[in-house]
Amino acid sequence: MEDRIRRVYVPMTETGFYILYCLRDEMHGYNIGQKVKKMTGGEVNISPGTMYGTLSKMEKDGLIRFVREEEKRKLYHITELGWELLNIELRRIERLYKNTHSGTP
Amino acid sequence: MADKIMFRFWTITDYEEEEEFLRQQHREGWMFRKYWIPGFYFFDKCSPEDVVYRLDFDQAAKGEKAAYLQMYRDYGWEYLLDVNGFSYFRKSAKDLEENGDTEIFSDNESRLEMVKRIFRRRMLPLLAIFLCCVVPQLMIQSGLWLDGGYAASKVMTIIFLVLFAAYIGLFIHCGMGIRRLERKYKTDV
Repeated sequence: MEDRIRRVYVPMTETGFYILYCLRDEMHGYNIGQKVKKMTGGEVNISPGTMYGTLSKMEKDGLIRFVREEEKRKLYHITELGWELLNIELRRIERLYKNTHSGTP
Repeated sequence: MADKIMFRFWTITDYEEEEEFLRQQHREGWMFRKYWIPGFYFFDKCSPEDVVYRLDFDQAAKGEKAAYLQMYRDYGWEYLLDVNGFSYFRKSAKDLEENGDTEIFSDNESRLEMVKRIFRRRMLPLLAIFLCCVVPQLMIQSGLWLDGGYAASKVMTIIFLVLFAAYIGLFIHCGMGIRRLERKYKTDV
């Protein structure tokens, strides 16, 4: 993995993380937004400009790839590089959780 | 023809003021319909309503405008038109529950990205014209006038001096505008 990619995506924003997480399944932008909203009880809201920008950036950096178009909506799917970053993030968040919930100061 | 025409002149970093202006007009019963360069706004009479207007700058990738606009449509935004690279959207503010939010950007990072795009696509070309055309021409023409005494060069020198001043004024204004936006998005939560 390039250093640049690691610098940009580790650690990841919550928005970025959820988008990548959702794209384990093939999805388009609006669907992702709806799903994230539901998963977080409305706490994480991704607006269209931010969604479009993040998807474009992730596609350009090779974290996700464009699969097909459905009624003008672009569907994306996570790539191997995307999985790699997602796993790094998951481990980081798990560690964070464990360290703060173990009871030791 | 439109029911009302107004003139407003904004520079590239005033888009938030412009959004607020259009929203206020709609509240007073004037629906924005079209725009003519350099600053003519055409409105149709309508029933007063709180409608949010938002501007995005040149985000769609080449050949992807349809997919880009579809995403905004999915989120409940009506696309109006494009002016100078800015895309205009609007959405009723009343039933927020079913309509989602009234922002097109949900974090300051993407707002900053937009400021950066404006800088790259609008300021840099102007800087290039300034440095590669206005400045050299001013030096050449003033040289011809002062050394050679050509009358035509005197006129050209004055023209380029005016242009020079106008560009400097514009750079200062836009530079300050960009700084103001950057500072705002970096401190706002």
